[in-house]
Amino acid sequence: MLHIKFPVVSRTHNLENKIDAFHDKMIEAAAVFHRSIKVFLNENSRDEYKSINKKIKTIEHEEDKLRRDIENDLYSQNLLPNLQADILQLIEGLDKINNQIDDVIYKFYIEQPQIPAAFHHKLIELCDQVADCVENMAIASRSFFKDLSIVRDYIHKVYIMEQESDSSYNDLKKAIFKSDMSLANKLQLDLLITEVADIADIAEDCADELLIFTLKRDI
Amino acid sequence: MFSFWIFLSSGLFLGWSLGANDASNIFGTAVGTKMVKFRTAALISAVFVIIGAVSAGEGAAQTLNDLGSVNAPAGAFMVGLAAALSIYWMTLSKISVSTSQAIVGAIVGWNLYSGKPTDISLFSTIAGTWIFCPILSAILAVIIYQLARFIITRAKISLLKQDFYTRVGLILAGAFGAYALGANNIANVMGVFIPSNPLQPLTFPGGFRLTSEQVLFLLGALAIAVGIVTYSGNVMQTVGRNICLMSPLAAWVVVVAQSLVLFLFASKGLHLFLEEHGLPGIPLVPVSSSQAVIGAVIGIGLLKGGHGINWNLIRRIFIGWVATPVIAAAVCFISLFFLENVFNQTVYH
Repeated sequence: MLHIKFPVVSRTHNLENKIDAFHDKMIEAAAVFHRSIKVFLNENSRDEYKSINKKIKTIEHEEDKLRRDIENDLYSQNLLPNLQADILQLIEGLDKINNQIDDVIYKFYIEQPQIPAAFHHKLIELCDQVADCVENMAIASRSFFKDLSIVRDYIHKVYIMEQESDSSYNDLKKAIFKSDMSLANKLQLDLLITEVADIADIAEDCADELLIFTLKRDI
Repeated sequence: MFSFWIFLSSGLFLGWSLGANDASNIFGTAVGTKMVKFRTAALISAVFVIIGAVSAGEGAAQTLNDLGSVNAPAGAFMVGLAAALSIYWMTLSKISVSTSQAIVGAIVGWNLYSGKPTDISLFSTIAGTWIFCPILSAILAVIIYQLARFIITRAKISLLKQDFYTRVGLILAGAFGAYALGANNIANVMGVFIPSNPLQPLTFPGGFRLTSEQVLFLLGALAIAVGIVTYSGNVMQTVGRNICLMSPLAAWVVVVAQSLVLFLFASKGLHLFLEEHGLPGIPLVPVSSSQAVIGAVIGIGLLKGGHGINWNLIRRIFIGWVATPVIAAAVCFISLFFLENVFNQTVYH
């Protein structure tokens, strides 16, 4: 069968693939983060955590490359001229989430905080909620490009997960400062869980922007 | 023959200004929003304006001739010039102006000056289409918009594919729009020169033949094409910026609705088809592409709840409907007097 390739069609297809790959990487980052805290809390998995830290760096690096390619393709090929600014803002926002995940995993790796067993359950719960929030944000963003009608559903899920993570964060914070750890340990742990909760906050900001872009895109 | 070319200059000038202004109604949003390059837009509109004018310009031109058969080249020159001057003044006053209304007013001015009767029923039909044109355009825009929205929502077309289809759609609609503009508006540019046309039929190698009337239309269409290539770029950028709040799809709907309206008022085939089937035939009248665009934009605006509609613009259209033909008739009447008595030219037989 004869296949004729039109440059415009293949350019569009190429960019669609890159946008898909970018979102895949984001979901992968959320999954790695989800696993990372369990591995960290397991005393016998130091080497595995080291490889997780390496893996998240690789994902972040690949995501950055995809982000630059997407931005470059959008402007150099003048695709979606009326939405370029919105898409740029959205992709940059998603990149901030990934950077924050990378930062948090690296901080745990470098600082090696002492976390009493009493906090493990709450910390895992917080990280689950944050990872869920990021995953839903990635799906919402992907839907913006593929099926506008379901964007709101996923944005709503982002809001719910962010609220739950806020509540877990507050409980954990109270528990940390009520405990008999040294003040230095309390402050260190507080800073780290704040950084974890920040991931969900950044995702929420992205969801806010995406909601506006979705309304603007209404034909 | 030489004097004919001098007299034809007013028509060619009118054609140039039509190309410079009205091509922006077809490709303005596409170029202004950078969906289509100006070079592509200019080439497509120039080619299709010529095809439309030469192949289908006859119907609307006939209607103008029925209104007033300007039988002296000097008279035709002044009708064209009066229309062009009226357009210029009205544009300065920022009143929505239509070449069609100006030329009809100028023809009536010539009728009054030469003492020839004006067919009142035909004039009413023409004036009726001016009101009907934006309304029809609004109705068509609403129908096409709803249809496109329904299809896009159901088909779940991805954002980038939508962008690609919109680009293709804008180019196709632009080509159709240019064809319809040529077919409908060539009458404004060259219609008054038909009765005094001394040009000979033209036969191209291969047997393709143009009647003398088509040769005249080809000249007018070339003037429109020159207007598009030389001057419409800036106008397109301005139009695109002014209505860039509109989504590319809505912009496409506006172009399609406008093009359909122009086509309906120019298609002899459709006119005959409707009459053959006992339906009222759509009058073949040159209509304003700008007013068709405004009608379509208002149609979509009303569909979206009527917020942000520029009612001041509508007021200006109403003023234009009355003021343009009246001013053009007065300018033509006075100028014919000078042309005949000061420059000793025969302005009617």
